[in-house]
Amino acid sequence: MLSLWLGATDQGLAYAGLALGTYLTLRVLNFPDLTVDGSFALGGGTAAVLISQGAPVPLALALAILFGCLAGLVTGLIHTRLGVNDLFAGILTTTGLYSITLRLMGRSNIPLPETPAGILALPNLGLGLDGQWLVGLGLAMAGLVLLISVLMATDFGLSLRALGNNPVMARANGINQRRGLCLGIAAANGLVALAGALVATYQGFADVTMGIGSLILGLGMVIIGESVLRPRSLPQALLAVVVGAIVFRMMIAIALQLGLEPVDLKLATAALLLIAMSFGRLRIPGVADQGRLQG
Amino acid sequence: MSLTVSGLSWGHPLPGSGWRQLFQDFSLSCPAGQFLVVIGSNGSGKSTLLNLVAGTLRQDQGQIHLGDRPLHKRRDHQRARWIGRVMQNPLEGTCPGLTVAENLRLAERRNRSALVNGGFLLGALGGIHPNGADRRRYRGLLADLGLPLADRLDEPVGQLSGGQRQSLSLVMATLGSPELLLLDEHTAALDPRAEATVMALTERLIRQLGTTALMVTHSLEQALSHGDRLVMLHEGRLIGDWSAAEREGLDPSSLRAMYGTAIVAAQSLSAPDGSSAS
Repeated sequence: MLSLWLGATDQGLAYAGLALGTYLTLRVLNFPDLTVDGSFALGGGTAAVLISQGAPVPLALALAILFGCLAGLVTGLIHTRLGVNDLFAGILTTTGLYSITLRLMGRSNIPLPETPAGILALPNLGLGLDGQWLVGLGLAMAGLVLLISVLMATDFGLSLRALGNNPVMARANGINQRRGLCLGIAAANGLVALAGALVATYQGFADVTMGIGSLILGLGMVIIGESVLRPRSLPQALLAVVVGAIVFRMMIAIALQLGLEPVDLKLATAALLLIAMSFGRLRIPGVADQGRLQG
Repeated sequence: MSLTVSGLSWGHPLPGSGWRQLFQDFSLSCPAGQFLVVIGSNGSGKSTLLNLVAGTLRQDQGQIHLGDRPLHKRRDHQRARWIGRVMQNPLEGTCPGLTVAENLRLAERRNRSALVNGGFLLGALGGIHPNGADRRRYRGLLADLGLPLADRLDEPVGQLSGGQRQSLSLVMATLGSPELLLLDEHTAALDPRAEATVMALTERLIRQLGTTALMVTHSLEQALSHGDRLVMLHEGRLIGDWSAAEREGLDPSSLRAMYGTAIVAAQSLSAPDGSSAS
């Protein structure tokens, strides 16, 4: 039983980057970014290819983040430079990313049989391999939350938050909306790709379809986290979405424990998210497009 | 810094079909330090003129200079380096989800339009702001101006009243001593008491900074009692131009007559009880 909870916590921490990225785009930038479905798989695929060929895990994670950032940048440029609607910009990038990820992986599934040496070198807290993953992923997510909190407290972060809160006012105060959106979406997709890479490394394989439904998963994690912790500041909100990711994976684990067939998992996930959204404070940015952006 | 608009043309498509040419070879100059009040009926082009100067609309033809600087070649966020703006809607001129201190910080760094500054690490991202020193500075500034916001620096702006938001928006627009201040019917959404407070603050800040200012208003009362010069627009054309001295001799009823039936209709639409119309 303990193993079940530990496994769910580890999975939640691995998925937390997806929740953080979704939070950045939806809540901070007010941008409904569908690129995450593609960048999650891209991150997983990149990490799997590199690790299976003997590359160090940190290098694989770093390249996954970089590729995720590039994917986000493409969406940002399509939206801000070509004036394509935000949702369509994300869909276009995600559609293209499927082929790119498949090309990169060479096949649709890559197994990773060995646990990374870095994880095996960590203390296990008396909990075996799950404990080592818990320490590794916990430290990584704590560092990530701290880093994003500090970045968001700078003038740069303040500018991004202003862009999401009131773009007209932000531009009137000298903020370059095009550049801000591109950087913000790129950073968010870097986080999502990191989550894809961590999930692939943790579960021991990457699949080209692993990103399907990532946006809605990320959104569910954000809503659950906000509903559970009711954050009052940005650092609290970041912590809340990480907790939301863990709670979400625990809910899935409970459902499986109660006898849910794996084939019904997606349906159960959708129902779970619907309940979370009904009770949570759902706010999805309007789909009305402002057309080609100035600035 | 003087503002010079010359040969300005701008039009827009009409719903369905057709085209409306609002400005055609329009020119206006405003000497440095002048407080210019612009009045006119709905659709006369007052707010459009401000938007063209601010860069939120791009002119079809013509030039806009602030001193020697060709504003018409710059994007709106680049113009913000020299221009402070106060919008009609108190919610538009501030970020309601950010705190008072964060809004002030955004305005303070307006004249550094780069999103990422030069330097290393956090310095490249502008450092941590608003910090303790920023808060002390803002508290002093707000207290000096007599605004009851000094103790509310860490509250979201969305929790302030309309008048307080508009006062904050005005303070933000004047932070960093902009060379041009654009006020777009900035008291239109306020009750008479808040309107008087905001107008007194407007006058004080403009005089204190000595900045060139363009204020658009529907209120004849404001037009007759504020500013160094009054101009009237009608369908994109300048139909009246009075200095402060000439304005003294103006008969309000004749000015009202110049507004014509269009303004009467507009006033009855915007304020059925006539409270905001003078």
